[in-house]
Amino acid sequence: MPTVVVMDVSLSMTRPVSVEGSEEYQRKHLAAHGLTMLFEHMATNYKLEFTALVVFSSLWELMVPFTRDYNTLQVVLVTDGCLGIGRGSLRHSLATHNQRGESNRFPLPFPFPSKLYIMCMANLEELQSTDSLDCLERLIDLNNGEGQIFTIDGPLCLKNVQSMFGKLIDLAYTPFHAVLKCGHLTADVQVFPRPEPFVIDEEIDPIPKVINTDLEIVGFIDIADISSPPVLSRHLVLPIALNKEGDEVGTGITDDNEDENSANQIAGKIPNFCVLLHGSLKVEGMVAIVQLGPEWHGMLYSQADSKKKSNLMMSLFEPGPEPLPWLGKMVQLGPISDAKENPYGEDDNKSPFPLQPKNKRSYAQNVTVWIKPSGLQTDVQKILRNARKLPEKTQTFYKELNRLRKAALAFGFLDLLKGVADMLERECTLLPDTAHPDAAFQLTHAAQQLKLASTGTSEYAGYDHNITPLQTDFSGSSAERI
Amino acid sequence: MKIFSESHKTVFVVDHCPYMAESCRQHVEFDMLVKNRTQGIIPLAPISKSLWTCSVESSMEYCRIMYDIFPFKKLVNFIVSDSGAHVLNSWTQEDQNLQELMAALAAVGPPNPRADPECCSILHGLVAAVETLCKITEYQHEARTLLMENAERVGNRGRIICITNAKSDSHVRMLEDCVQETIHEHNKLAANSDHLMQIQKCELVLIHTYPVGEDSLVSDRTKKELSPVLTSEVHSVRAGRHLATKLNILVQQHFDLASTTITNIPMKEEQHANTSANYDVELLHHKDAHVDFLKSGDNHLSGSSREGSFKETITLKWCTPRTNNIELHYCTGAYRISPVDVNSRPSSCLTNFLLNGRSVLLEQPRKSGSKVISHMLSSHGGEIFLHVLSSSRSILEDPPSISEGCGGRVTDYRITDFGEFMRENRLTPFLDPRYKIDGSLEIPLERAKDQLEKHTRYWPMIISQTTIFNMQAVVPLASVIVKESLTEEDVLNCQKTIYNLVDMERKNDPLPISTVGTRGKGPKRDEQYRIMWNELETLVRAHINNSEKHQRVLECLMACRSKPPEEEERKKRGRKREDKEDKSEKAVKDYEQEKSWQDSERAAEFLTQNCLAFRRGGKSILIPIPLIFKYMKFKISLELKGILERGKEELAEAEIIKDSPDSPEPPNKKPLVEMDETPPVEKSKGPVSLLSLWSNRINTANSRKHQEFAGRLNSVNNRAELYQHLKEENGMETTENGKASRQ
Repeated sequence: MPTVVVMDVSLSMTRPVSVEGSEEYQRKHLAAHGLTMLFEHMATNYKLEFTALVVFSSLWELMVPFTRDYNTLQVVLVTDGCLGIGRGSLRHSLATHNQRGESNRFPLPFPFPSKLYIMCMANLEELQSTDSLDCLERLIDLNNGEGQIFTIDGPLCLKNVQSMFGKLIDLAYTPFHAVLKCGHLTADVQVFPRPEPFVIDEEIDPIPKVINTDLEIVGFIDIADISSPPVLSRHLVLPIALNKEGDEVGTGITDDNEDENSANQIAGKIPNFCVLLHGSLKVEGMVAIVQLGPEWHGMLYSQADSKKKSNLMMSLFEPGPEPLPWLGKMVQLGPISDAKENPYGEDDNKSPFPLQPKNKRSYAQNVTVWIKPSGLQTDVQKILRNARKLPEKTQTFYKELNRLRKAALAFGFLDLLKGVADMLERECTLLPDTAHPDAAFQLTHAAQQLKLASTGTSEYAGYDHNITPLQTDFSGSSAERI
Repeated sequence: MKIFSESHKTVFVVDHCPYMAESCRQHVEFDMLVKNRTQGIIPLAPISKSLWTCSVESSMEYCRIMYDIFPFKKLVNFIVSDSGAHVLNSWTQEDQNLQELMAALAAVGPPNPRADPECCSILHGLVAAVETLCKITEYQHEARTLLMENAERVGNRGRIICITNAKSDSHVRMLEDCVQETIHEHNKLAANSDHLMQIQKCELVLIHTYPVGEDSLVSDRTKKELSPVLTSEVHSVRAGRHLATKLNILVQQHFDLASTTITNIPMKEEQHANTSANYDVELLHHKDAHVDFLKSGDNHLSGSSREGSFKETITLKWCTPRTNNIELHYCTGAYRISPVDVNSRPSSCLTNFLLNGRSVLLEQPRKSGSKVISHMLSSHGGEIFLHVLSSSRSILEDPPSISEGCGGRVTDYRITDFGEFMRENRLTPFLDPRYKIDGSLEIPLERAKDQLEKHTRYWPMIISQTTIFNMQAVVPLASVIVKESLTEEDVLNCQKTIYNLVDMERKNDPLPISTVGTRGKGPKRDEQYRIMWNELETLVRAHINNSEKHQRVLECLMACRSKPPEEEERKKRGRKREDKEDKSEKAVKDYEQEKSWQDSERAAEFLTQNCLAFRRGGKSILIPIPLIFKYMKFKISLELKGILERGKEELAEAEIIKDSPDSPEPPNKKPLVEMDETPPVEKSKGPVSLLSLWSNRINTANSRKHQEFAGRLNSVNNRAELYQHLKEENGMETTENGKASRQ
């Protein structure tokens, strides 16, 4: 998540801090010290984070803008907790919060998912002596509870500021390190941005799920088969070189720092599984299915941007036994070598995916809906059209007739059966002299059967019963076709 | 949405009392006379649906939309009420489809207008509805079993949709009271039962329907809490299409649906096949598919209300060109759809187009500016989904390239080989349960992991780290040795491969050993073969615990790869002499070798036909006669090992070659399987006088024992032409060991 640092530069931030036997510090120096620490951490461990800096007192100024817009954000507010007085102060704004309309709504909650971290250049006692803490807590509440307030433990000094920012870093900016595994092939990776914990159903399983630090590949699937699946989030999977203590040496991403540069150059020359995997995924047009936890999977694939730079990306599926209906249950996916014959065909010309659902959806099964008169009229017209082409269309005629019959019986719409029977009888009288003699017999037979069904007696109105064509002695053709 | 919200269980209670047989007084013309038909025919009188027909078809439409969008976990129980309650289906998933319900409704038939109205009541149905809400569904049962001690987290909520013709507001109140009382009673019963669940929350939706043109005797009332468990709302709706519209609105409310209208769908006209007009199709789906619009407050997209319905629809434009299915879109959600007007021509054209496997991108209509593609319609196995494509910008927009990171500067990854590996390790669904030998259930996904483990036991990542995987000749062995079990044929193929390699070595064929980073010409030929054999041994050893047949392959390899020191020595000497040798003489020698072993396939065949079976450690192995000689020499050389301590040195030498500074050690090169307990047969060199004496003796002795080959007997000048019919057959090709011949 990108970060906006919002720094309080009001006059109260210049209040001196008494530090024994050293030069005099102001609160803003402490703040700057803490932020420097945060930025240094990001520069080494969280390189891809985007940051902006805004300063404010009674006015505000954007010091360092983002280069683009995002849909989620982390806001780090640095203040001493002196909230000012009078109109426009936080105290006043909160007090008049209810009086605001649409045009001048309070900025919180932000109109996008966000976390608000408030870094106080003051300790808890100091804030509690006024109502500052309450006001700041109110801000977090207004942001739907997303965020946290940090205060300095003990006296105001560089060390304690460091420890406060240390806590923020631990909470929000620890890089997510993992081991990517494919059997015995492994690579140390950083997953960026950090995957956030996910709650499946707050009622049944309220404990947020976190992904494993072992990312185990379980197999591969063609891109056409995985078919643009819905995902919770996307993450870069960056190979990293770890030294013996497990600290990150570098992601290999070029850096100005010279020492790091040489380390990166060495890391660049050591074969890494991520690069191999990425290359093959890209060439073959496939994704790797990766297990993230119990009943939680994701996919690894090559992601290219407009500049033809590509990288290994991981998308997380929603946790659960069956995240994608067209793949079926994840645990039921097995190696093709266990199948009797290769489900992809010897020439790689078929695929076991997508799985077909047991029941067809309404749009795939020719359901009958007569809510609009046009629906009913279309179905009657179909019968009539085929009736005029008897005996050639005997089969479709009876198919349509039976479809109408079934629906009419289910809806208890017996009048319709009578009506259609009358209509068929009329059609019989309208038959031209040239008509095949069979046509008259079939029409009469069909009309008779519909009339019987319209009585609703169980003998003739069985739902599963079908009206079959009358066996006639005329051309065997119609009988043969059935 | 919580899994066990009110929408998990819906009970339809439809009134089947005599007054429901009354006409809705909305006529339907069903006899539409086609133009150009004989004049003078009076169309048949229009018919009208009964209140019952209207109620049933509207509730079926509700179910149709619900099943389309939520085929699982959203269940319907259908109850018909007259002189008693008729429960038409159960909560089980098999009962949850339109066909089942339609068949059951047909069995019930329309209400009998002549039945005694005094015995008929909707109350029977409402009582049955409460009863059925207490019954546990298979999903609830499964969740409770899974949660064990937290089983109480599984909620039991439900909704009763009651379609009836009420007499008055007080009649409605009576129905509500009855439901409340029944819930109270049944909750007491359920408290003492394992198979029933107490109702935590019940939403009663009472729909009073009456013929068009009549005055309603019941007033509408919005949702009201009657008790902590029961809420109730009353809708007074005219029958006919008004009732259908009402239920359509309700299904959207109940299941958090939203509407999207696809506009500008190009479609061929029925009458004029060569022209195409643009059509609109309205689809329903879960409202989360619009989450991006709601977030950004893009209200200008919505707002067109259609045909007097109150709901809003968001319009998205059909977008050409179409997308291809090998593109992986960043999709944040996929939601099943249901067409509002399922049988209309535009709807069925769109759905059939999609069902045929094509996808359509959808763009937001904007008056100006760039085009924003926000959604995609796509079918997966007969189900159509609306995919939400991310159109907002992300922090991953400008990622570093993988070539800038760790391992990014290495250029000789085995990309093609790993692609082949991935294809072999593709997944496929196993829907029928399979069992292991011990009777326990086999999990296909675990099998997939096992296979990956086996296939990667020895898998060098870069070309310069491997010799054997650059040799076409090794493929038959390498492709089968990773298997869990081998067939006799597999073993034979492995053995053939090994003999073939032995043959290559004999012919002194070059090996595709990487010379990257090494100075000069790289390792000498015999060293190359040693590297190759070592690597092959590593591969085979990694799998010897798979099965006894794998061990046989290793045994064959160990037997064949061993080289008699004498031969080594001869080679060394031979190389020194080589320069001096007359070139023509050398050519003749090469020719001879070429001739005698022209076809490796045939050679292997020949060998297998000329093998002796050995029993070793309870297993039998086939060893070709020529190799038996070699093997015997080894036995001797092993005995001499105490004196000749050179094996170790040689191994060390091999290591040095492999670990040249520029071809770093692969991370997985460490022996994955502990060494065999039997000491590996080591090659020995050194003073061979005794050995050569011995082996010469044995050779001569043996050559006397076996029958002379027919070829040699018929030879001219002691030179026999082998495979005389080879050229005629012309089916044989000499195998190449180069990478180039690989497909």
